[in-house]
Amino acid sequence: MGDSDFCDRPIHFKYYDGMKRLYILFSMAFLSIGGNAQGPPIFTDTPIMLGLEGRGVRTFGNIVSKENADAYIHPVAFPYNITNKWQVGVIAPFVSRSPDGLPSRSGLGDMKVFTKYQVFQQDGKGQTFRGLIKLVETFPSGNTSETPPLGAGENQTTISFVSGYVTTKIGFYGEVGYNITGGALPDNTVYNLAVGYPLLPQTYPPKQLNLFLELLGNYVGDGVGNNLFIAPGLQYIAGRKLLFETGIQLPLDEAAPEGQQTNYIWRIGTRVLLF
Amino acid sequence: MKRLLILVFTIGTLSMLNAQEPKPLSGKIKVGVDGLSCPFCAYGLEKKLKKMDGVAEIKIDVENAFTILTIKEGKSVTEEEIRKNVKDAGFTARKIEELEDEE
Repeated sequence: MGDSDFCDRPIHFKYYDGMKRLYILFSMAFLSIGGNAQGPPIFTDTPIMLGLEGRGVRTFGNIVSKENADAYIHPVAFPYNITNKWQVGVIAPFVSRSPDGLPSRSGLGDMKVFTKYQVFQQDGKGQTFRGLIKLVETFPSGNTSETPPLGAGENQTTISFVSGYVTTKIGFYGEVGYNITGGALPDNTVYNLAVGYPLLPQTYPPKQLNLFLELLGNYVGDGVGNNLFIAPGLQYIAGRKLLFETGIQLPLDEAAPEGQQTNYIWRIGTRVLLF
Repeated sequence: MKRLLILVFTIGTLSMLNAQEPKPLSGKIKVGVDGLSCPFCAYGLEKKLKKMDGVAEIKIDVENAFTILTIKEGKSVTEEEIRKNVKDAGFTARKIEELEDEE
């Protein structure tokens, strides 16, 4: 689907489709959530599914500032480890969107369910190298009958490979995934890289400050183009079961047209192990 | 020939008995744990080992990659039990040894 597909439609449909498209770019690039809780990167997923073992909750707020709109997206994720290698979970996002010159709307966004399965694990003293396959299904639960829409209005299926080499001194994480979208929306490829560096000595029970630098990419098909963000972040592990984190995404390359580009996306979040 | 058969049978039986009765470990046990690279992951290990019957206390040293289990008086655990629980927690157990002195 190219931009020319919108040309013969009435103006409000053109706007609606444009907004929907922007929303898709938002949700695909910025709503990636791991649901893990062991000092992983703030935006990129991790192959380490430990710590939770039973049930946990992760939640955060994304404050999105664009040239022509502001948005607040607040997902809550509930991961559950069936085994130490197999995790399932659900993500429910609250979405509030305020486009310039239009009334704001808020409500439930697109719900996701996911499953992760670890495919390899190589452990050494103070280090681990792991990889997993992740499958995410997104359901069009966000209302799209009014502008601005709260969801993409289509089912999406994402399959990803997540890998990481983590030592007590430094952590490297990578994720590559392909998102298949329903309807006329373009498929896209997600690619994320992250480096984490602990600032304090490793102790247990943990009191740790982790510094992260992440590169978050999303190549959208059908001629839409590439999005690439750089994201520095800071994470504070307050104890066995509690973690606070913040990070900001700044655009390096963006496919959105002029006037609709992203200024920044600021994330503040927490992860709690319940049991 | 008959003696040889009896010898083989005896050795085999003793080996099987030995395999069925793993050595009980008590007191303080030091367990080397591979894959322990972040303190937040260690919570899963702590929870798993605490559930073991007979374990009174657990100390985890992330920097040096080991954990020390203190076993309740009159109780014991086996090396196999420890290895299984470490594996179920998502890590790999290395050397397991009883500590002679109180730390």
